[in-house]
Amino acid sequence: MKHVIIGAGAAGITAAKTIRERHINDEIVIISTDEAVYSRCMLHHYISGQRSLQALSFVTDDFFKDNNIKWLSNVTVAHIDTKGRQVVLECGGYESYDRLLIATGAQSAFPDIKGLSGTLGVFGLRDLPDARAIAEKAVKAEHVVILGAGLVGMDAAYGLLALGKKPVVVEMAKNILSVNLDSMAAAAYQEQFEQAGASFKLEAKICEVLSDARGAISSVELSDGEQLPCDLLIIATSIRPNVKWLESSGISLERGVVVDKYLTTSAEGVYAAGDVTGISGTWPDAMSQGETAAMNMCGCAVAYSDFIPPMKCTMSFFGIPTLSVGRFIASDGDEVTLRMSKDRYEKVVMRDDIPVGVILQGDISRSGYWQYLIKNQVSTAGIQKPIWKVSFADAYSIESNGEYKWVL
Amino acid sequence: MKRIMIETEKCKGCKNCAIACMKAHMPDGVPFSLTDTRLEARNVILLDKDKQYRPLFCRHCDNPSCIKSCMSGAMTKDSATGHVYYDPKQCAGCFMCVMSCPFGVLKPDRATKTTVIKCDFCKDHGSEPSCVKQCINQAIHVEEV
Repeated sequence: MKHVIIGAGAAGITAAKTIRERHINDEIVIISTDEAVYSRCMLHHYISGQRSLQALSFVTDDFFKDNNIKWLSNVTVAHIDTKGRQVVLECGGYESYDRLLIATGAQSAFPDIKGLSGTLGVFGLRDLPDARAIAEKAVKAEHVVILGAGLVGMDAAYGLLALGKKPVVVEMAKNILSVNLDSMAAAAYQEQFEQAGASFKLEAKICEVLSDARGAISSVELSDGEQLPCDLLIIATSIRPNVKWLESSGISLERGVVVDKYLTTSAEGVYAAGDVTGISGTWPDAMSQGETAAMNMCGCAVAYSDFIPPMKCTMSFFGIPTLSVGRFIASDGDEVTLRMSKDRYEKVVMRDDIPVGVILQGDISRSGYWQYLIKNQVSTAGIQKPIWKVSFADAYSIESNGEYKWVL
Repeated sequence: MKRIMIETEKCKGCKNCAIACMKAHMPDGVPFSLTDTRLEARNVILLDKDKQYRPLFCRHCDNPSCIKSCMSGAMTKDSATGHVYYDPKQCAGCFMCVMSCPFGVLKPDRATKTTVIKCDFCKDHGSEPSCVKQCINQAIHVEEV
């Protein structure tokens, strides 16, 4: 059996590892446009100079050799011939397959802003070339503007602050990190970012990008008319699955590659996993989909169960860790419990005795059970304890092999 | 693989296991102290709703959620021992492992909040867990599973 995997990110690498664990003799080929295996979650550490390219890798140096995987790096796939079961490469060659995994991830999506298209000095932050370009440009840049105060935007700001830059972050929402945090938790980070030299334009949009005679960005104009000087603009507003190259393949596409519960696409023998499916945009979900797809590619039917995952994230800026899972904004009928001290902010949103959302900021020690409670909609009605005291201890069970199991 | 087996009914909550763990993981040049935040136990004993002791020790799971959420490659399962090891140098401190452990075993380190406190099965002590050696009630023991 020959497995071809397109993409060397979280989903692709996890799939390859999973196939190898199950089938020692199967042929595995990974094709990636990327020249290296790297974790995109760490690209801001590359921009700040805290990590080298090698230190961005999330696999061992000998990963491909040890696992007997052929890796075609720096190689782009032109299209897939699903009838002939082969992948045609841009450089002219091809790879035949028995099983194919599409794990090409997502790319930055730029909003439609007057003057943005084609202007020099404008970058997304998604891939290594983006990080390289930003790092190079940042050396001389004096006026950095970041559009979007989500996790990618704030990571970019964090990396650039470490270089001594003073980025201005423009965000449409009322608070930074609005997808991940409520205004209270967001304010704690905003204060730290401001103290470090960043500034924020909230409830604001860039309506025009202005450039100089060479076509390089010179300023941005906000919706209220304010002009910000700018020689480096980072766009961190949204992403879209990398599917454009698949339009001629006949494989069913919507926003991402359409998959069934076994992560199979509409083409026989072709699977998809990770951001390219558009199911979720987190690293753990991409790994989990890569693993599930690989099991199915190996002939072991495993259904993926997490098609509507709750929002979940952790972050840590300026030594303040935060965990946020589920729906943290209460609606009518919810019960909200808050706990606050100098260094901590904690909030739980409950609906009919079931935790539906949590934010823990300042101390996230041993808090992993929250994701379990929320994801599995576990009722805490039978536990006569304040919600803060509820933990895995209240559902504690040990299996014969010594592993823990939730029993409630 | 070897796993620390737990007999909860024998646990008296004495926390000798926690002290043993702190002593086994003292950073170079840091003397033992109960109040120094640089010294932390990887284990903890929780109380359940009926006030029963519930020892929480990393299981080095067969299918570890911490590895399946690690974006830096810091968390790996050793193919020889089956144990899940953590490399603080490779870790980027994103704490997705803390979020993903369904039993709530993992935590950021208290002193710097940049690394993860994680059981290493006392690999620097001959892979003979110090907590087990110090448990006076034999509530924990090592077993091949």
